[in-house]
Amino acid sequence: MSQVMLQVKAASKHFLGLKAVDEVSLSVRPGEIVSIIGPNGAGKTTFFNLLTGQLAPTSGEVLFEGKAINHLPPHARARLGMGRTFQISKPLIALTALENVMIGAFLRDAPLSVARDKAMVVLEKVGMARLAMRRAGDLTLSERRRLEVARALALQPKIMLLDEVMAGLNQSEVGQAIELLQGLHAQGLTFLIIEHNLKVVRAFSERVVVLDRGRHIAEGSADDILNSAAVIQAYLGDGHMGKGGTDVQPTLAAKGERT
Amino acid sequence: MASTNKVLMTYLLSMALAALPIVLLVDDAHWLNILAFTYLMGGLAAAWNIIGGFGGQFSLGHGVFFAIGAYMTAQGVIRFGWSPWLTMLPIAAAAALVAMLISWPTFRLRGPFFAIATLAFNEVAFVLANHFDSFTGGPRGLMIPFKAGFANMIFRERWQYALLMFAFVALVVGVSVWLRRSRLGYYLLAVREDEDAARASGINVLAVKLRGMAISAFLTAMGGTLFTMYLRYIDPPTLFTLPEVGVKFALLALIGGIGTIAGPLLGAALIIPFENTLRAEMANALPGLNLAVLGLLMVLAALFMKRGIVGAFEDARKRWFGKTGDKP
Repeated sequence: MSQVMLQVKAASKHFLGLKAVDEVSLSVRPGEIVSIIGPNGAGKTTFFNLLTGQLAPTSGEVLFEGKAINHLPPHARARLGMGRTFQISKPLIALTALENVMIGAFLRDAPLSVARDKAMVVLEKVGMARLAMRRAGDLTLSERRRLEVARALALQPKIMLLDEVMAGLNQSEVGQAIELLQGLHAQGLTFLIIEHNLKVVRAFSERVVVLDRGRHIAEGSADDILNSAAVIQAYLGDGHMGKGGTDVQPTLAAKGERT
Repeated sequence: MASTNKVLMTYLLSMALAALPIVLLVDDAHWLNILAFTYLMGGLAAAWNIIGGFGGQFSLGHGVFFAIGAYMTAQGVIRFGWSPWLTMLPIAAAAALVAMLISWPTFRLRGPFFAIATLAFNEVAFVLANHFDSFTGGPRGLMIPFKAGFANMIFRERWQYALLMFAFVALVVGVSVWLRRSRLGYYLLAVREDEDAARASGINVLAVKLRGMAISAFLTAMGGTLFTMYLRYIDPPTLFTLPEVGVKFALLALIGGIGTIAGPLLGAALIIPFENTLRAEMANALPGLNLAVLGLLMVLAALFMKRGIVGAFEDARKRWFGKTGDKP
């Protein structure tokens, strides 16, 4: 058993001249919750896509449980135990919620009845059992995000990569979602999340990494990071130094409203 | 989700219902002819539906696989005197192989671009069939001599052909039902809905598409074999004319309800007899009028039944029998 579950060594992604991700290193240990924050356009999602295999890095290396996975396609990484959600959720809208989760469950169990039973268990776990027969296209935004977490959970992943899974949710929905993730973490699941909502970051993460213009600019505990001068400057520019971390929150939460 | 037994019962009952017209029309050669063709086209539309409907890969090149079944069967009979019963499955396997080879590069294309590429394959095959007359008989075509007998798959009675075509459609629907309840079937649906989400769920998108295409082409080539033995004459325009073959499979599935199990059959049951009647009634009055009427019908279907006959039925059932809790 490796001490590090997911390791990134100086990964870069260049689009023509633009360095979207510039030599970012990161490691996630088993059972940890690591958050990636940063202003819009900082390269968070691009960085995520390097981890999940959606994009190939220009240079650098990605390792999962000690093995280089740079050249593995997304589906092979899912098989290794990496579950992910998308910034813009991607429900399979013509299928029911149950069938959506079955798509995930089939990875480990081919027989229909086994996959269906496991999918049902996962739906219960995320509190969506009563919506099992609802078409995914008829679900609310919050339910769709929950469904996407459920589909990824059905893969029986070792690590969950969540890309702004709280975006567009209201206060009480965010509360429920945090509760859900904390429950999963208590059962031993590792998390790497991109999050705009600093309330979530504070409540949920053990370690925070800050990206700005493709570079890794700070890393530390949630409290340290959210009060650090460099981070506030990255988000708001110069001239906000005296105000402290808490004022940052409403502005950033508002930014997260995109869907 | 229905249990396996219930699904099996539904399948057997609907197939019994679908076979009923053979019994009712047993003395009517004209209608038995139309019926046999309806079963065949229903089976071919259902075979197309596996990759086109479940997998969402809108192939217009299925005429190629159909023609492989047709030509290879004809050559086996004419040159070597092989029974079509024996050659049918190996030929279908060859068509599946060809399907995978030409799909491999084509599956990089998405949506309309994939459709256009498959269309191009059909047209290239048309030209090749005209050119290589040592294999295809060129524009003159191939004629299979009439030697009635079960081993030759050539029958004296129309109802025997109707029964043969019915067996084909029952097979294709059986495969569809099985697929729709298997992992591969679900994976095809996932690929159709969202390829990125499918990949994130551990699905090898290309492999799933290739398998779906192989099954679809296999069944389509079997249809080509039956078609050849039924008509006993094939030539390039019969096998490659898009509105009659490649596009027709897709069209029947669309009108009936794409991606559903019953859809392709309902589409064929509606269009094929209607088309034949129109041709018989109208072609003499004004050549082409039958096609104009058929075209109008399809435009209306496209405007008012976007989810096909199956979709229209479902909407009607929801409207009349409640289920008010669910949004449409």
